[in-house]
Amino acid sequence: MILKKENVQNLLDELSKSALVFVPKEVDGVLKFAPFKSADEMTLDIINTTLPPKDLLFPQTQKMYRYGIDADGKMYVDPSDDSAEQVVFGIRTCDMQSIVCMDDVFLTKGFVDEFYQAKRDKLLTVAIGCNKVAETCFCDSMGLDPQNSPTADIQLLEGDDAYSVVAQTEKGEKALESWKPFLSEGSVEVPKIECALKVDMTGVKDKLDRMFDHPIWEELSAKCLACGTCTYVCPTCHCFDISQENKMKDGVRFRCWDSCMFSEYTQMAGDHNPRPTKKERLRNRFMHKLCFFEDRYGKTLCVGCGRCVEKCPVSVDITCLIDQIGEFDV
Amino acid sequence: MSKIEISHGCAFGEKPLIPQICNIIGIVEETSDVKTFRIQTPEGKKPFECRPGQLGMLSAMFTGESMFCVADQGDDYIEFTVKRVGMVTEELHSLSVGAQVGVRGPYGNWFPTESCKGRNMVFVAGGIGLAPVRAFLSYTLKHREDYGTITLVYSASNKDDLVFKKELFEVWPNEPDTHVNVSVYHACDGWEGEVCYTAPFLEKLGISTENAAAVLCGGPSLYRTCSEGLRKLGFADEDIITTLEMRMKCGVGKCGRCNIGGKFICLDGPVFTLAELAGLPSDV
Ligand SMILES: Cc1cc2nc3c(=O)[nH]c(=O)nc-3n(C[C@H](O)[C@H](O)[C@H](O)COP(=O)(O)OP(=O)(O)OC[C@H]3O[C@@H](n4cnc5c(N)ncnc54)[C@H](O)[C@@H]3O)c2cc1C
Ligand code: SF4
Ligand code: SF4
Repeated sequence: MILKKENVQNLLDELSKSALVFVPKEVDGVLKFAPFKSADEMTLDIINTTLPPKDLLFPQTQKMYRYGIDADGKMYVDPSDDSAEQVVFGIRTCDMQSIVCMDDVFLTKGFVDEFYQAKRDKLLTVAIGCNKVAETCFCDSMGLDPQNSPTADIQLLEGDDAYSVVAQTEKGEKALESWKPFLSEGSVEVPKIECALKVDMTGVKDKLDRMFDHPIWEELSAKCLACGTCTYVCPTCHCFDISQENKMKDGVRFRCWDSCMFSEYTQMAGDHNPRPTKKERLRNRFMHKLCFFEDRYGKTLCVGCGRCVEKCPVSVDITCLIDQIGEFDV
Repeated sequence: MSKIEISHGCAFGEKPLIPQICNIIGIVEETSDVKTFRIQTPEGKKPFECRPGQLGMLSAMFTGESMFCVADQGDDYIEFTVKRVGMVTEELHSLSVGAQVGVRGPYGNWFPTESCKGRNMVFVAGGIGLAPVRAFLSYTLKHREDYGTITLVYSASNKDDLVFKKELFEVWPNEPDTHVNVSVYHACDGWEGEVCYTAPFLEKLGISTENAAAVLCGGPSLYRTCSEGLRKLGFADEDIITTLEMRMKCGVGKCGRCNIGGKFICLDGPVFTLAELAGLPSDV
């Protein structure tokens, strides 16, 4: 089946009746996934949004529960659930893979994160294959295919004036029923593409296992400003802090994104900090992406989206690091 | 002697991030900055079932949450021993019996109570580090026939910083085949016992390693010196059990900060043998 580009507006209008639809668009100068209003503002042909769509599942600030003291002086806890049906339309392979990683973190290993799960269950993922790549994209080196997101509910591929449409999950198939009026028979021609930026991941994990005390971490971290940009723009970074805000007799406990690049992140009592300098923090970030996550969940935590490569103000570059590791004899 | 086997990544639960409101039903002032809180649900029940070594997140609702090990438990309560170091702990210290707090847990793994059966137990702790050790020690006393000789080596900076004084000086020494050794780092009036750092104290006591398992818990420097001390006495790393501490927010392996390598202390730990830690990065 195909979806003619001229029908996208109508389809998204229809979907918006029963769900919040998020599309890539520019808001206040920043490209991100934001609520759909009209097809004119969409930038479906962009390569990659500046901000990843992770906040649809894991908001930058998420209310967890209200607490307070009732009229009888009893303390109460009132869990919040702000989850609603959501559609992410136009997600790319890299970001789709980041959801797979976040699913591992939030939904496995004994504890299911209730807030993530509520949102995840209500999210429909519609991926669009990339026909263009940015200079900083390297997802195919990370084992992904820029034109195929196997875990997306629905996969679209872009031709000249239409998208091909394939449901890949049960949820996707069910969703397609309401798409029918906007679909037609046909096929599309999709140009074959490849990422321009390449890295070779062969042996990188094994080498990293032996590189905890390697001088590279000192060298690499020397220029890092500890600004945390890399972690905020990364689609797979999932660390959070828990905090609260009070108003008279009640308050809200919420969680918000945190960054392993900040010193307070691991600061403990008695002036002890297990990761006291940028060196230990940067090492932990990169080893987490390329080594520790694989130990734990069997996959790399870098999806090759290139956001940190593009946005780091001092060009700390994960692809250069991977190249360097490849050259080391350790 | 069977190998010490520690379970990892064994805690699980639903709605892990939402606390239940409980009451403080007893407070013991251990030192000028350490208090033990006994906690129970409003219905008079134990907030959760847990094993020695496991953790609980305690919250002064209007101030924040902090992780503590469950220092002891009874049929209908659990206890946390809290040192006042900052915002949350300060607020907890200001509460009195009857006050309401939030509790969630249990988190983390537990001491190898099973595979230590039949062994002579050597507990080594410094300062507030006696809190997790107490959970295990008190378990061995409740199941006295399962364990051999019990030896505790405990130190604090000075006399006033010793926690669980009642247990140290009145209860535990009167238990069968139980030896309690206490030292302080700084002499003062009214202290007639040992004045000695923990590691040399260990050596001086000449503790036997025969059929023994050691449990070690304290701050970073005690951990360093006493793991060396225990090794010098002849303990193998496989037979030294410790519990780690790193800053944590969620307690369920999601918030990120308490990892050493691919392990999360809140989930895979906090209990490890030194042999297991030797295989992990040194980020603690
Ligand atoms: C697994 C585990 C078990 C613990 N068991 C006990 C226990 O049995 N008894 C006890 O008194 N304390 C225990 N702690 C330490 C306790 O969690 C902290 O002291 C407490 O969270 C500090 O909170 P605060 O708001 O009072 O301090 P804050 O105002 O947040 O900070 C004060 C100081 O404490 C540091 N700090 C914050 N959180 C932690 C933390 N999680 N660990 C260490 N330092 C921290 C801060 O960096 C700062 O230097 C344990 C910690 C962990 C991780
Ligand atoms: S974006 Fe660059 S400078 Fe900023 S914390 Fe990350 S690595 Fe350091
Ligand atoms: S580490 Fe960088 S390139 Fe990899 S997924 Fe995160 S932001 Fe993208």
